[in-house]
Amino acid sequence: MRSMGPRGSGSAHSGLGEWLLQRLSALYLAGFSLWLVARLALAAPADYVAWKAWMTGGVTRLAFALFFLSVLMHAWVGMRSVFLDYLKPLWVRFVAQLLLAFGLLVLAFWAVQILMVEAAG
Amino acid sequence: MADKNKKRPKNLDLLHIRLPIGGVVSILHRVSGVLLVLGLPLAFLLLQQSLRSPEDYAQVVARLSSQPARALLLLTTILLVHHFLAGLRHLLLDLDVGISRGGSRISAWLVLAGVAGTVMIAGGCLFL
Repeated sequence: MRSMGPRGSGSAHSGLGEWLLQRLSALYLAGFSLWLVARLALAAPADYVAWKAWMTGGVTRLAFALFFLSVLMHAWVGMRSVFLDYLKPLWVRFVAQLLLAFGLLVLAFWAVQILMVEAAG
Repeated sequence: MADKNKKRPKNLDLLHIRLPIGGVVSILHRVSGVLLVLGLPLAFLLLQQSLRSPEDYAQVVARLSSQPARALLLLTTILLVHHFLAGLRHLLLDLDVGISRGGSRISAWLVLAGVAGTVMIAGGCLFL
């Protein structure tokens, strides 16, 4: 079998990009979490009308859109590095990454649907 | 040579070798991350349903108020807080903050202490 470089699989130049992506998304997720907890702790929407009004607001929708994007990218990089460390047979790793990619893609479409339908007012 | 390697002592007795506290926090960061990813579909489902109609919203509230759901919420809080604090610790280590042996031990214990503190607050909010 052909030697595939230090990471065992994947392209040789994707490492730094993933490293940066993981940290940038982490920073957004951290800020978003603090904002969400503070908002819900200080002024929790009392009922459906208040909850819906808040979630359909422009700022909230944008914050959630960026959250969905960040969390899916963060999950991709994080799960992949777990797979690379613990799943040794290449075909097992391949199948796991395929399932992960499919699952995250489904979640991405789902997130778009939530933003465009349920949180669209 | 192969024979020689086979005779090497296998020292996986957990009373003899112990993962340093930084290693424990780090592996829990991975475990919590994987579990949180597995929980994402449920979170998406609840968010979507809560926004559909007043009846759906009431149903989500009722579901989340049950005892098993509260336990699951507490577990999710533990995972989130641990992942958050341990992640923050890793980001600081990237910046060479707390990179010394003593410093990284202290920050690892701080992560666990922070988790314990939030567990008590969250547990109090959820169950009292």
